[in-house]
Amino acid sequence: MNWIYITESASALNSLTWTVVVVGIGIVFLSLLIVYWFFRYVLTFILNFRLKSFARKKGIDPAEVQTAKTIQSGEVNAAIAMALYSYFNELHDVESGVMTIKRISRHYSPWSSKLYNMKNL
Amino acid sequence: MLALLVITSLAWTAFVRPEQERQTALAESGIEAAAALPQLQQDQPGKEGFAEGLMQFWAFTGFRNVTSGHLIMIVVGLIFIFLAIKYEYEPLLLVPIGTGILIGNIPFFTDGGMNLQVGIYQQGSVLNYLYFGVMKGVYPPLIFLGIGAMTDFSSLISNPRLLLLGAAAQVGIFATFIGALLLGFAPPEAGAIGIIGGADGPTAIFLSSRLANGINILPDGTTVKNLIGPIAIAAYSYMALVPVIQPPIMRLLTNKKERLIRMKPPRAVTKTEKMLFPIFGLLLTCFISPSALPLLGMLFFGNILKESGVTKRLAETARTSLIDIVTIMIGLTVGASTQADVFLTRESIMIFGLGAAAFAVATTMGVLFAKGMNIFLPEGDKINPLIGNSGVSAVPDSARVSEMEGLKADKTNHLLMHAMGPNVAGVIGSAIAAGILLSYLG
Repeated sequence: MNWIYITESASALNSLTWTVVVVGIGIVFLSLLIVYWFFRYVLTFILNFRLKSFARKKGIDPAEVQTAKTIQSGEVNAAIAMALYSYFNELHDVESGVMTIKRISRHYSPWSSKLYNMKNL
Repeated sequence: MLALLVITSLAWTAFVRPEQERQTALAESGIEAAAALPQLQQDQPGKEGFAEGLMQFWAFTGFRNVTSGHLIMIVVGLIFIFLAIKYEYEPLLLVPIGTGILIGNIPFFTDGGMNLQVGIYQQGSVLNYLYFGVMKGVYPPLIFLGIGAMTDFSSLISNPRLLLLGAAAQVGIFATFIGALLLGFAPPEAGAIGIIGGADGPTAIFLSSRLANGINILPDGTTVKNLIGPIAIAAYSYMALVPVIQPPIMRLLTNKKERLIRMKPPRAVTKTEKMLFPIFGLLLTCFISPSALPLLGMLFFGNILKESGVTKRLAETARTSLIDIVTIMIGLTVGASTQADVFLTRESIMIFGLGAAAFAVATTMGVLFAKGMNIFLPEGDKINPLIGNSGVSAVPDSARVSEMEGLKADKTNHLLMHAMGPNVAGVIGSAIAAGILLSYLG
């Protein structure tokens, strides 16, 4: 359909203009609704079917596999990943963090001794 | 001998041929070269020749050709750059656009229709070649490729009902379409203006380059207006202002109890689901609205590159270098297309008004639809209506607004992941809406 048929006057809102609006909104909703149905029902059905047949092959109870899948959460994965990251990246000895130079009890040190720096003639 | 031949041919190409072409062009356009271009009189020695030389130099400077329109647009460009640097409002967009506005509004000599091949609308100029990507809608699909390669659809796959919020916000597009028609715009122009409600810069440029490009002929014999610049600037400006426009509307439409709703954490999504989403998403949406193919095809292609796991290099390029290059091109040329004589019109002001209304309607519809869905959803599985605003496809700004507003109500309630669902659904929804408008009005 060409827009010529929609309206002859730029400012006129006739029935065909409303058709564009109604059909437009309808198609946007319909498209996303179909994608929703597909991923909510069709894809879930296919994936569950695959999962169950795989479980049957391996001799596992399909219901158990399904439960294991649904309890997975991104938060749990994130916590595990964070723990592993912290463990592997922060492996070092614990230090006091005090930077003050310790005084030693023995005050004498030969490094600045006049005796060793002067020629003893 | 060979070197001499090469030098001669280079000299011919560089100096003699352009001059011949210029003379031919001037002769064809009926402009006397002497009248169009103040020639320096070589045979007038002394003060007169020198004065004429200075006059010729003056005639070509921006100071002589400047108009108040140029100055206004230069101030607008400076404001864009200021907002981007000072407040970090979408700096990746506003800096190129702001600089583009400065470039596009440097005044130059155009007396007698003279084409110096400088301006963005002048045939043969470098900027005009770069602008080709906007005029022919080349850049937007490339941007969508990059967006696809960087988008994670997990939140949408884990909770596909959020797709409907992305659809609800597109009502803003059609409401603006009606508003534009009422203000006297021709239907193709109204369609291009309406897409501002989708809050998607590339889609707005894509649709306006097809519908309001200054080339198409209307049935009454007049040419459609070139509204690419105003529409693109309005779309990007309002996208940058999402954190300012949306929160008051969200707070107005929700009560305290609704803002505190905690949504269930999204489930883990398998690799197979992630892989299948772009493939089936592409097939399902494009079969319904084939006109959206350039945008949706590239969006889902980018996502396939990302999720396939075997094209990491391509996905990396698409989401980094490629999208950066195209963003520079699109930002600069869209900015430069706001040349004062084309941009400062009554239509531009109306477009800005309609754009603001479009954003408000889109946000309102998203929030109200989320509230409407809650009527049918069981307790404990409800949607926080604060994510409804994310149905507009300003990714990820509107999702960030949801997060911020959610945190204001409850410091521990993070809505970002949930809001990303309707946000990416909004990208798909606005591309479908653009496809529909194109098929009816194009």
